[in-house]
Amino acid sequence: MSTEDLDLSADEEEITAETVLKTLQSAWQNERLAPEILPHRNDMVECMLGQIQHMERNINKLPKTDLRACIHKMELNRIKYIICNYLKTRLNKIEKYCISIVNEERQRTESGTNYLTPSEFRYAQEYLVNMENHLKNTVLNHVPGRMQTFEHNKMAVYPNLQSHVFLKANSTVNGIVLEDMIGDQDEEIDLEEDSQHILQYKPIADLVKNGKVQLV
Amino acid sequence: MDPYEIEFIGENRIVSIIPNFSYDKIYLICGEFGPFRAGLPMNVPLWLAVMLKQKQKCRLVPPDWMDLDVLENIKEEEKRSRFFTKMPNEHYMVEAKLILGAASEDIPRAAEIKTIIKDIWDIRMSKLRTSMDALMKSGGSYGRLDHLTMMEINSVKPLLPAAMDELYRIKMMTRKSTPATLNTSTFSQSGSSQNI
Amino acid sequence: MFGEKVIELLKEADRNRETIDQFNDEKIRQIIEEMHVLFKMNMDDANATTENKSLWTTVQVRHSALERNKRCLLAYLYNRMDKIKTLRWEFGSVLPPDVRELLSDTEYDWFSKYSTNLAQYMRSLGEDIGYSGIDLTENLRPPKWLYIEVLCLTDYGKLELEDGDVVMLKKNSRHFLPTSECQTLIRQGVLKQIV
Repeated sequence: MSTEDLDLSADEEEITAETVLKTLQSAWQNERLAPEILPHRNDMVECMLGQIQHMERNINKLPKTDLRACIHKMELNRIKYIICNYLKTRLNKIEKYCISIVNEERQRTESGTNYLTPSEFRYAQEYLVNMENHLKNTVLNHVPGRMQTFEHNKMAVYPNLQSHVFLKANSTVNGIVLEDMIGDQDEEIDLEEDSQHILQYKPIADLVKNGKVQLV
Repeated sequence: MDPYEIEFIGENRIVSIIPNFSYDKIYLICGEFGPFRAGLPMNVPLWLAVMLKQKQKCRLVPPDWMDLDVLENIKEEEKRSRFFTKMPNEHYMVEAKLILGAASEDIPRAAEIKTIIKDIWDIRMSKLRTSMDALMKSGGSYGRLDHLTMMEINSVKPLLPAAMDELYRIKMMTRKSTPATLNTSTFSQSGSSQNI
Repeated sequence: MFGEKVIELLKEADRNRETIDQFNDEKIRQIIEEMHVLFKMNMDDANATTENKSLWTTVQVRHSALERNKRCLLAYLYNRMDKIKTLRWEFGSVLPPDVRELLSDTEYDWFSKYSTNLAQYMRSLGEDIGYSGIDLTENLRPPKWLYIEVLCLTDYGKLELEDGDVVMLKKNSRHFLPTSECQTLIRQGVLKQIV
């Protein structure tokens, strides 16, 4: 039973399953800790699903009492946990911020920078329609005429991008500007490789998305 | 995140075991391990080590840092320094909990080791509380905390980041010097996180 | 005083944060009725305001109360929606009858639609590689090798475990065994869990 080296695309180097797993685990950690929804890593998820499928087929050929079967099963459960928790975390954010996510995703789709997978986007839109209908049927359609509108802008919930997060720098990043909202004393800081900090999410959001920092 | 999730992450750490059985190499997705030779030490992920130990298929080899002298030095350094010492690894608490929990008989002077690790944790936690206090008093918007492990960082969530968020909100509100006028918009909240 | 009933409704919902209560049909009906009364009063007074400016403030106050009632009603429903979602993740797509009773009919409709949407999403996972979907409602807790330590109280003899291992249960012997396989023996008094 061997892990195959995987060809993710013709021009990328061969990436091992081990690397994909590590990347997926980082993505999961970031998604758990970031206030907003992050760009999806569906390629990693599908790669792992493929690995799981392959492994499960092989395990089923072994006798149930084989120790190796036990070990592999345990590992597969661990990977399934990461995948399920990762996807559920994303669904939670989609549900909570559905109005703003659907709007923003529409714009992002036009420029080809989607954060959601097609399935997730379908889910988001359906969820929004269901929510709107439910509130209309239960309450809004029964209140006095002019108040019946489902006001999207008032109902929308936005993630708090100013919330504070902990991060670890994967590589050195210089010149992060911490805006001073009350005065003019903007501060500029450097993130040395392996250093850890607590600060507001907004100035480092892009660094999370491009992998230069890891939320902890 | 909750502590179980951090424990889960910590379980990926590689530790050393001595199996009592022999097997060829196994090819897991997270890496190759083995071959297993009865009586010979080898490396496996912590989650696998604990599983094998509970099935009585191996002994655990104490990690280098789980030694009284090493730990005494760390403790002294932690007491002496204002800053946080760099711990032997990112998940020392998870390793300690799982190894001492499942295999204390494989660790010499396990009880003393448990005590000294707890002492180190307590010193660091106390330092962390002081740091949090200083951070809030100095305006609380940015801090550097090298060498804190994930479990320790998690122990101050959500308190510390939430407090810093509140402080920021208060600062933002004191920025507005004009009093609110009585109109219908006063009933909708402004601010970056709006709920119905 | 207007606006009070809706606060009672919210307080009631707030008293029980963990689980969901019976949908308070009656209170909601009363609040909506209050809104209609206020609205009518405002319509009448708004027409008169052009001549009598002192009514303007009254109209404003009523309007605020109307907005507040609407906002709070929506908050009540929204909060229940969160709890209902948890039910789907906990119980699956079929609710036990005593739980189903707590939901209004429209809420149950919404629950069904939510459930269908979720199922459709889960089925789509991995479809490109021939996977038949994943059930996200399982695998939500970090997997643990669920073993507990037990003390054997009697000379039970051999116990064959699911994975083929055989354990000799002698009086006063201690073992680490899978939780699921001990439960019966613990209930029978053969094993005792060591905490």
